[in-house]
Amino acid sequence: MGEQTQVKKLNKKDITKSMWIYYAGAELSNSYERLQSLVFCASMTPVLKKLYDTDEELSAALKRHLVFFNTEGIFGAIIQGIAISMEEQKANGENVTDEAITGIKTGLMGPIAGMGDAIVWAAIMPIIISIFLPFASSGSALGGILPLILYPAITIAIAYWLIHNGYTLGKKSVVSLLHGGKMKSIIFTANVIGLTMMGALSASYVTISTPLKFGFSSGTQIVVQDILNTVAPGLLPLAAVFIIYFYLRKKGPYYNRILLTVVAVSVITSLLGIL
Amino acid sequence: MSVLMLAVCMGFYYWFCRLRFGYTFSSMLLQPVVIGVFVGLLTGNMPLAMKIGAGLQLVYLGVTSTPGGNVPSDPALAGCIAIPLGVMSNMTPEVAIALAIPFGVLGVFVDQLRRSTNAVWVHMADRYAEKADTKGILRAAFLYPAIAGLVIRFPIVFAIDFFGVTAVEKLIAVLPQWLMHSFEIMGGILPALGFAITLSVIGKKSLIPFFITGFFAVMYLKLDTMAVAIFATCVALLLGLFQLKEEAI
Repeated sequence: MGEQTQVKKLNKKDITKSMWIYYAGAELSNSYERLQSLVFCASMTPVLKKLYDTDEELSAALKRHLVFFNTEGIFGAIIQGIAISMEEQKANGENVTDEAITGIKTGLMGPIAGMGDAIVWAAIMPIIISIFLPFASSGSALGGILPLILYPAITIAIAYWLIHNGYTLGKKSVVSLLHGGKMKSIIFTANVIGLTMMGALSASYVTISTPLKFGFSSGTQIVVQDILNTVAPGLLPLAAVFIIYFYLRKKGPYYNRILLTVVAVSVITSLLGIL
Repeated sequence: MSVLMLAVCMGFYYWFCRLRFGYTFSSMLLQPVVIGVFVGLLTGNMPLAMKIGAGLQLVYLGVTSTPGGNVPSDPALAGCIAIPLGVMSNMTPEVAIALAIPFGVLGVFVDQLRRSTNAVWVHMADRYAEKADTKGILRAAFLYPAIAGLVIRFPIVFAIDFFGVTAVEKLIAVLPQWLMHSFEIMGGILPALGFAITLSVIGKKSLIPFFITGFFAVMYLKLDTMAVAIFATCVALLLGLFQLKEEAI
């Protein structure tokens, strides 16, 4: 058995290639049945082909990565890195079982998805869009072009860093990621920036005012909007955001029901001349 | 550009951005502000395309941040229909946004259809894995879902954009004043939905004062968005610093 003496070693390129495949197709083949299992398996193909020589071994490895998998596609890169390092150890004869690899993957996908959603989708994306939104509102193409360049660039950089860290540090990297206070403070920082931006944008873009006036026989007129403005400017827009916000918190994400209500309210208030 | 060519281009654009090729790249590609750039290039009316795109973006801003990738509303279908129709028939952004809403809802069902048909390729991949056919697995992960997506998505946008322009022009001409005004009201309220969704996703209740700070920073101090972004970043970093200090003690 001479092949045991030769150590199979992956290089940085193999791992980066794997990252690109997962990045390219994380949502593309997403199905209700096994979600991202197909693309995860596809992303492992360059690595597995290099690690396993016989068809039997390769087939077993491919099937191992076709089991149910779903996480956030940018932070998921760290799971990929770990899975790759485990496959490498296994191919070199170490005692890494199928269950160990699948266990790590399924155990991590939940917490990693939570982190990824909080940072990549709930913070980075709306912040980038909203910073350049004023360009778009004033009719400039930059409002679309800059987010289209910046968002992928930033997130790919994160994925690149995570997959190589996951590979070199293995399981330890996630433990430090999950339990270190660092991640918590990153999420906190992102949330503070995100919320402040959302507030600023609400002020510029939610525009509700009332034309209501009450005239008296003495000739004095009460303009409702003026009274509201003396209390604080923008009370009606702020109220609209918070009414919907509390509805979402209490009742859950019934977006279409809210949409319909907004449509109904708009038509009725327009007919009555309230707004 | 003729309406026919525009409809063809929009059909392909909808297919391509919804293909989700490139995880975060495609998710930005399907945002109304980016669709606005594409429509602006095709029609030559960049300012109006971007204004409608920006208005639509506000409605769908929160949708991006919904966890789990289960789109409650499809900004891409709304954008690929409302922006070209709006530009071609010279609508105000408010009217175009009101027009877009039903299509955003329709888009959810289209996506469910795609995710259901995608299950077929997983079973195909199972068979390829049995044969250790890595090329087959890559085809099942990329090529087949792309072809199926074209069949599902292209016709919807093409048909509505192609037949929609004249229909919409006629419709706008006969709409009464109160209905047009209700579109304006709607356009003013709908962004609140986008912000409320984002708020409910990222906002722990204790962090809501930051939202209010941002709101009144614009209302009273008339700061622009970039200024708010800079101050918010500094405040967030400083708070993080103090927080760490406290934990250390």
